[in-house]
Amino acid sequence: MNPTEIIRTVVRWLVYVLLHIFVARHLVLFDYAFCFIYVGAILFLPIEINLTALLFIGFFTGVIIDTFDNTLGLHTSASVLIAYLRPIIIKYQLGQKLTEGRLQLSIKELGFPTFLSYILMLISIHHMVLFLVEAGSLRLFPYTFLKIVCSLVFTTMTIILTRLFSR
Amino acid sequence: MLQLFEFIGRNRNFILFVLLEVFSFWLLVNNNNYWSVEYFNTANTLSAKSLELSNAAREYTNLRNVNAALAEENRRLNELITRLQQQKPANAPVGYQADSAFANRYKFVTIAKVIENSTHRADNYLTIDKGYADGIKEGMGVVSATGVVGKVKICNKNFSVITSILHSQFMVSTKLLRSGDQGTAKWENNTTPSLIQLKDISRYTTIMKGDTAVTSDQNVVFPPGIAVGIVKSFRVAPDQAFFDIDLKLSTDFSKISYVYLVENKLLEQQQSLQESLTPKRK
Repeated sequence: MNPTEIIRTVVRWLVYVLLHIFVARHLVLFDYAFCFIYVGAILFLPIEINLTALLFIGFFTGVIIDTFDNTLGLHTSASVLIAYLRPIIIKYQLGQKLTEGRLQLSIKELGFPTFLSYILMLISIHHMVLFLVEAGSLRLFPYTFLKIVCSLVFTTMTIILTRLFSR
Repeated sequence: MLQLFEFIGRNRNFILFVLLEVFSFWLLVNNNNYWSVEYFNTANTLSAKSLELSNAAREYTNLRNVNAALAEENRRLNELITRLQQQKPANAPVGYQADSAFANRYKFVTIAKVIENSTHRADNYLTIDKGYADGIKEGMGVVSATGVVGKVKICNKNFSVITSILHSQFMVSTKLLRSGDQGTAKWENNTTPSLIQLKDISRYTTIMKGDTAVTSDQNVVFPPGIAVGIVKSFRVAPDQAFFDIDLKLSTDFSKISYVYLVENKLLEQQQSLQESLTPKRK
């Protein structure tokens, strides 16, 4: 990784976190769809990043988001989980592409279907954990499930949008 | 032992993952733990500052709604104050009990926005964005947040024209708050839109610069106690029994934006009773 790439990675992380804190946090559609755009900060870190670093980055991203929501632990647990699962899903989904050389997690390099399945998988895990932990029980499951699905669609759309505008 | 270390070394990331998860769930479950109370919450200086900034930006876009809400709140409070004052006037003798219909006679009907305004003609008018569709009737009093404005002259469905007190024929019964003397305020010099003249105050009372003038109890259009202005200067001609007083208007007509419409619900009753005296006098 050369310095430009490092700076680009840091800036991308920062943009996703700030976008979430200042804009996306307030976006709620129809009381069901929430936008957790900060997931992008973890999803689009470089592939070759080491797992220990990834876990810590996920942890701190979660802590920062929780600080602004006064829900210390909620976003943290979900982001640590997707940080841990990310290499596994990458290996599982992009198995043969990985052998072809260095790869960037962008729409252009992965192709839209692969890219979509990669982000959908991780975002749905994140949202499921987040909303179920937030609900604390399965008592209101239909309601929680509706929230998960709506938010999944909303977050995925916004993240695809941000990827269309970035390099 | 060595095997244990090897195991930890091999699985360090999984162990780290489990530790972090357990730690975050622990944070979540004791939601009053030291960490979340002391550092990681929105009261923390850094996050509070940044939220303040973003809130300031959002607030700015919201000012229009806030203004409307405040104007509505003021309308409600004005009505309440007037009613309470009328129920128990400060200078009333013990045992005076206002009739409830009388005490409730002033109703702050609505709030309107001034869309056209003149101050430099001899007879000035304002136009507001509400008409009889919003309950406005001809003859209603108009006050602003700072003081009296005028009286509704004509209205159609959605607009009304208001005779401003900057009008050569408009008179407001006014009293000086400190001495209690009553007079009539009228815009006579027709040139300065910030000054109004107060007549009929006897030269034998003491008045001072800076005395406050408010609408008197004998008004039929305005509730008593609405600010008219403060005494700016006064003089007395040698052959006159009354002061010539210049009041500095408390309403700045060049900046006026929102006005309240006041209705006196007993106006007709009072006027018809008073008019019935007129033929007898002839």
